[in-house]
Amino acid sequence: MLRGSLAIWQRDMLILRRSIISELVAVVAYPLTIYLAFGVGMQGYIGLVDGAPYSMFIAPGLITMTAVNAAYNESVWSLWFHRRVQFTIESYRVTPISVSEIVIAKILSGFTHGIIKGCVVGVVIFAITPFRFPLEHLVQYLLFLIPGSAFFSCAGVISGTVMDKPETIGKVEAVLVMPLIFMSGLFFPLSSYPPAVIPWVRALPTTAIFEGARRALVAGEMMPLAALQIWLSALLTFVAAVYIFRRKMSE
Amino acid sequence: MRLPLPAVPSTGCSDMSTASITVHSLTKSYGDLTALDSFDLAVEQGSIFGLLGPNGAGKTTLIRILTTLMRQSGGDASIEGLDTRHAGRAIRSMIGVVSQENSLDRYLTARENLELHARLHGMERRVYAPRIDELLALMGLSGRQKDFPDTFSGGMQRRLVIARALVHQPVVLFLDEPTTGLDPQSRRAVWEYIRSLAGSMTIFLTTHYLEEAEQLCDRIAIMDHGRLIAIGSTQELKDRLSGATVYEIEFTGEGADRYAGILGAMPCVLDIKRVDNKITVTLECWECLSEIVTALGGAPIRRISLQERTLEDVFISLTGEKVRE
Repeated sequence: MLRGSLAIWQRDMLILRRSIISELVAVVAYPLTIYLAFGVGMQGYIGLVDGAPYSMFIAPGLITMTAVNAAYNESVWSLWFHRRVQFTIESYRVTPISVSEIVIAKILSGFTHGIIKGCVVGVVIFAITPFRFPLEHLVQYLLFLIPGSAFFSCAGVISGTVMDKPETIGKVEAVLVMPLIFMSGLFFPLSSYPPAVIPWVRALPTTAIFEGARRALVAGEMMPLAALQIWLSALLTFVAAVYIFRRKMSE
Repeated sequence: MRLPLPAVPSTGCSDMSTASITVHSLTKSYGDLTALDSFDLAVEQGSIFGLLGPNGAGKTTLIRILTTLMRQSGGDASIEGLDTRHAGRAIRSMIGVVSQENSLDRYLTARENLELHARLHGMERRVYAPRIDELLALMGLSGRQKDFPDTFSGGMQRRLVIARALVHQPVVLFLDEPTTGLDPQSRRAVWEYIRSLAGSMTIFLTTHYLEEAEQLCDRIAIMDHGRLIAIGSTQELKDRLSGATVYEIEFTGEGADRYAGILGAMPCVLDIKRVDNKITVTLECWECLSEIVTALGGAPIRRISLQERTLEDVFISLTGEKVRE
């Protein structure tokens, strides 16, 4: 059933392998710059956040941000490019595979990009900064990183399916995706929000990803409700992505 | 001059049991727009069938339904006896499609493009590897198999797309304007490849190049406004215009103008055009020629020649000269 998904995913991984060095340089540069600018440069002004130095506070979020951003970007641009520029989606559709297999392949590819790039940034931050965490915390962390990447990959597939113009994709990223990431406790604790706003922010799946991932990685603390929220969100966006892509293809 | 539309054209295949593609009362509407209007067609197995029509005639809609990319609003369509609505996967396993766009993956080499297509068809490496070698050799691309399509000429890209459509040895091959944008040499090369496939599979071709249809197709259908308006071999279609005969008369000196007036007044002359010292007359029937020769008695004539009707004449007469949006 998933023969087509596997073939397309393998194609995407072949392209990633070919350009892995340039991809990783680009993907590491951004979070590392933020880490150095905010974590190191601003550390003396900010002091401790939630009992930890500021650079320690933002490090898990930067790894998570890299993963979900990579997942979103790979899915949205890959789908848009293959659909609108290269017309490869059309060439897949005249083979004996289903539309669902195509969209699942693209979701898997985005997810894989996210996990690989997040892990690489994690290794780099681990290697060149004093940020440390017990390795056993990784399992709990992955319980957030995996559905988080899947959620953003599915969101990217939806955007790449419904948006026909590249500038619209850029605008959505600037107006919706980045604010959702930045406002979810990546750079500051949720307690900074006015009390009336906190429940609304906590309802966001991005908050569940960033808050849950940080606590899992730094403190080994498991937030079951946040984990459930992000796994459910990933499942729902997966169903929505498949449905929306199938509808678009039948138009 | 426009020919009257035939009331109900034959679908084009005398024995439906040997039809590879059958279409019956096929209708497709987009809101108020009817792209296909009770379209009927039958394409014989192993033949090369050409579909002609102006822009917006409904050709692409028909191909998209036949290749299971789109669902019809009404009517039936089948490929090798399989209904396009219910057997999409089975149909796609036996068809090859060369779409208008190249749709090659520019990040994969020529060979990798073919390998991906083979894997999507569920072929195993031991089966597809020799098949790809064979196709690359046939298309003259063996030496470039490790290169990326972006570095290929338009003709080479087109050949690669055709090779990709043939990897899984389809029973029916759909070619949607396969030579659009190619130079004459590349176009002729593609024609040769298509000819070399004749008989081994059914080929369904759409094109804007009438010469291409004339050169390649056993039978040709002309459609417009979503309806089939003529079908037959090239000669049969030309014969539809044989009621009218066109002659070109070339004068040696002055006089073309005067004789154009004389001929234009004759009842058997349907149409007359003069360019410099040449007159083109459309006669009701060839028997009228003797009347014309009599009327031209003593005129300084260099030559009178019969003008062969082309497929383009048939196409224009059936679909009109007006440019479509």
